[in-house]
Amino acid sequence: MKFSYNWIREFVPGLTQAAGPLERLITMKTAECEGIEETGALLGNAQVVLVESVEPIAGSHNVKTQIDAGPLGKRTVVCGAPNCRAGMHAVWTPIGKKVVSGVESDGMLASASELGISRDHAGILEVDTIAGLVPDAAIEIDNKSITHRPDLWGHHGMAREVAAILGLPLTDPAKLELLPEGPAAIQVMIEDYALCPRYSALVFDNVTVGPSPLWLQYRLTSIGLNPINNIVDLTNFLMAELAQPMHAFDADLLHGDTIFVRTAKAGEHFRALNDESYTLDAANLVIADAAGPIALAGVIGGGESAISDKTTRVVLESANFQASSIRKTSAGIKLRTEASMRFEKAQDPLNTVRALARAVELLPLVSPGIRLVGGLADACGPLAAPPVIELSLAWLARKLGRTLASGEVRRILESLAFTVADMDADTFLVTVPSWRATKDVGIKDDLVEEVGRMIGYDSITPEAPLAPVAPPPANPARRMQHDVRNLFVDNGYTEVYNYSFLSEADVRAFGMDPNDHLRVLNPIAEGQELMRSSLLPGIWNNVKENLKYRDSFRIFEIGQEIHPNETGLPSEVPHLIAAVYDRKETGLFELKRMAECLLPGAQTKPAQGREYEHPARAAEIHWRGELVGRLFELHPRMMETGRAAILDVNLARIAELGEAPTKYTPIRRQPSSAFDLSVVMVNRQHAGDVRSAIAEYANPLIESTNYLWEFALPDGKKSVSYRITVGSPERTLESEEIMAIRADIIAILRELNYELKV
Amino acid sequence: MLDESIQELAAGALQRIAMAGTAEELEAVRVEVLGRKGGALAEISKGMGKLSPDERKRIGAVLNQAKQEIETALDARKATFEAVALAAKLDSEWLDLTVPAPGPRRGHLHPITRIQRELEDLFVSLGFAVLDGPEVEDEYHNFDALNIPADHPARDMQDTFWLSGGNLLRTHTSPVQVRGMERLKLPLRMIAPGRVFRNESVDASHEHTFYQLEGMMIDRNVSVAHLLYFMKTLLTAVFQRDVTVRLRPGYFPFVEPGFELDIQCLICGGPGCPVCKQSGWVELLPCGLVNPHVLRQSGIDPDEFGGFAFGLGLTRLVMMRYSIDDIRQLQGGDLRFLEQF
Repeated sequence: MKFSYNWIREFVPGLTQAAGPLERLITMKTAECEGIEETGALLGNAQVVLVESVEPIAGSHNVKTQIDAGPLGKRTVVCGAPNCRAGMHAVWTPIGKKVVSGVESDGMLASASELGISRDHAGILEVDTIAGLVPDAAIEIDNKSITHRPDLWGHHGMAREVAAILGLPLTDPAKLELLPEGPAAIQVMIEDYALCPRYSALVFDNVTVGPSPLWLQYRLTSIGLNPINNIVDLTNFLMAELAQPMHAFDADLLHGDTIFVRTAKAGEHFRALNDESYTLDAANLVIADAAGPIALAGVIGGGESAISDKTTRVVLESANFQASSIRKTSAGIKLRTEASMRFEKAQDPLNTVRALARAVELLPLVSPGIRLVGGLADACGPLAAPPVIELSLAWLARKLGRTLASGEVRRILESLAFTVADMDADTFLVTVPSWRATKDVGIKDDLVEEVGRMIGYDSITPEAPLAPVAPPPANPARRMQHDVRNLFVDNGYTEVYNYSFLSEADVRAFGMDPNDHLRVLNPIAEGQELMRSSLLPGIWNNVKENLKYRDSFRIFEIGQEIHPNETGLPSEVPHLIAAVYDRKETGLFELKRMAECLLPGAQTKPAQGREYEHPARAAEIHWRGELVGRLFELHPRMMETGRAAILDVNLARIAELGEAPTKYTPIRRQPSSAFDLSVVMVNRQHAGDVRSAIAEYANPLIESTNYLWEFALPDGKKSVSYRITVGSPERTLESEEIMAIRADIIAILRELNYELKV
Repeated sequence: MLDESIQELAAGALQRIAMAGTAEELEAVRVEVLGRKGGALAEISKGMGKLSPDERKRIGAVLNQAKQEIETALDARKATFEAVALAAKLDSEWLDLTVPAPGPRRGHLHPITRIQRELEDLFVSLGFAVLDGPEVEDEYHNFDALNIPADHPARDMQDTFWLSGGNLLRTHTSPVQVRGMERLKLPLRMIAPGRVFRNESVDASHEHTFYQLEGMMIDRNVSVAHLLYFMKTLLTAVFQRDVTVRLRPGYFPFVEPGFELDIQCLICGGPGCPVCKQSGWVELLPCGLVNPHVLRQSGIDPDEFGGFAFGLGLTRLVMMRYSIDDIRQLQGGDLRFLEQF
């Protein structure tokens, strides 16, 4: 929201700090400022002049004028405005000499837009005086930082902060004594005071609708609002001044003399000021007359009862609505207005009549001759008493971490319009002002902030907390992930991070069903609508991108697979995915070695290749008897060029299985013996099967079975050699024993139909 | 007579040893002169039986001396040949060590992992537990338990991805605070680094997926002064230099009072520069004292315990540390970027 510096200064007459230093003070004590914008800069040297003569310039739509700048003498100015004519009073700004259309122009005759008064740039401003219009500065406050402060959505609220920060007096623009007495000219019926705690209104006649006076247009323009007409502009002015959104109805276009505040009927239609039509339901609060909705409460007025040139009688609404109801309606129809933005912050019900009193004062200035009709209409539910908070000074000092004089605390709270009474020597009874009580301040901790920000947090000396010395609880899962990262990085793999979103195409490419995925209801972009249930598509994309620049590389990612559950939160399963890409060679054995480094004793069991896997190059990784991962090459169809080997490991499963306990056995002092066996196998038989068969034989004297080598034989066969080491911790084996083991193994392998070369 | 032939033989042998050009020639000399059977010296000693005992003793000594001289010469010469042969063999094993070593180079940790680990280690050394929480959260933990009820305007501050099934992608790591309070014993100190999501359009400085590090300390009598001390200590360690911090009001529903913490610009040191937009300060992180509603929601009595909490933008910190100008690089998977870390 933008704040006019001059407007604030109207309420803080003692303000001498310029906008720059003031902005810094507001940032440190109240809310974050996003910058200062100069407005009406040209008004500084502008003056009203008489255009004495106008003559055309050949070949140009511009004209050459002679102006009388009073004490500054006569000047020649080139002007392009269609309304420029001799005898008019215009605003001249001495911005220097410049040749325009071949004529030297001294300064400029300015439009209202150029002067910053309004957005009107159709012609130069024709005006008799610009007295009171001076350069201003708009201080822009970050809306997020005043989300909790309904009062800071108006200049008077910000002025109160400024006065408190600087210790200056604050003036109040609302004079309640101006409100008319007597019976109101309009009745108000509120259906539910919870949704509309208060609805106040005044009726005026003898209204003239037209452009606002320049001071009003300038005020609105300088804070980014667009002047429309005098009546609408004044409601916007009051909203920007007192944070009270208002609305003016053309009284002659209303049906009946009663305003109803009620929930909409299901399917009820409403055409708004913005020419949009909305279909409402019972969640929407409307303002209605006898014929139907005339405004969507707190959001936008109706098109049919809008103020127009023909308007002569006005009903001025100043109401209070439940914040969450307005927010729901506004979000539901996707329309955020200056009014809804304020109401959703929980405005002060006591403010409705203050804004009307200010209207009574200002309306005659913008619509001369305007008359009040009847007294104040004011329907009001039971209003909550302002909260009273017990504030212990010792507690306050403990929270802030510095000592405080009670007088200083009192002065700060009172400057912010809290009422402070003594309960005992240490405790204040603090009454919260109505405009802070709706949502913002309710507990003593809220007062810590009030005092803290005003004394300045820089007045607090940092102090080491007293905390017990204790080792923090361990996080073994995270520790393991870091170890895995180290292992892979040390072995040449580079870590990538991929998004948690996948497209339906990604999912289908890996044989998964989009319906098995958690879906993003409001995806940011096409192709990001599913939550990843696999890290494969991500790493596949990484491979495809990087092979444009590299012939060979290794990458890995650790991230969560997200699998939906019937109820509750989905299962998030951490996985490791690693890829080795090479233009020619397969990285499968490298990844198999990585799997074995990560999982000592892991077994690689051949598996049927899935749709996206190389049909003859896929395996499962088993560890400690459980399936924990998969090793494969991507199907060549998935790759334009080269080979991508992939290892996918379920880290949650590994963490559950845990490390095998380390058990020491003394080093054997008896010598071991070894013998080699060569097995003839058919080419597609797995070398590992021999090893498994020997493992199954489970002779305790066998220390190890090691694959030595293999070589091809004719007729689609191969010879695979193993070295079997045998020994006993107690004694040296006799050669007969060794031969017996060898004979056993040979018998077992022959039984399995392997041919042995012995 | 015998003396003379021994002397002659020895002299001749020594000369031939000196002249020998190969190990084989040397061996021939050894066999010819020292050979037990048919060697010249052996032949001479055969004739010694005819000598008187005194003479035999004398000649024996002469013979031994000659034998020793020849053996010493043979050994020395042999050692020379071996040294030359070894030198030649080693010379033939010359390797060009400027050729690159085979096998992969070391890989690279992601820059976010690097900074995150640095911070984890720092916090663990200060007695903080490192907690994990789910990336898919329920509305309760992400919002309600943090004092952001439905229809609260503060929900607008965090554009949320909603999921089928009614859950959402966590918009901050703050829900892990709640899970920490539910799980850990008091007093507690915890951090929660992790991935968070906001429904924002992506450009060079905005991402819908980024990383935060949430921190919280709950104990008796935790004050703003403690928070200030802690933040200063933390940031001094993070930036590896003394930093000046300041607090100013900031609104976050789960803390009261809430602050924006700024650090004095590390580039200009305060006078103002383009990085700090001429203000001398850089907004770094939101923090505050934990709102009593939040404590109560998690079953903690705010009259007994209080705490502070802060949220560090990990992604932002990584970008500051390495002067990364495009946030999209972090999740782009491009090795040309990742290999720089």
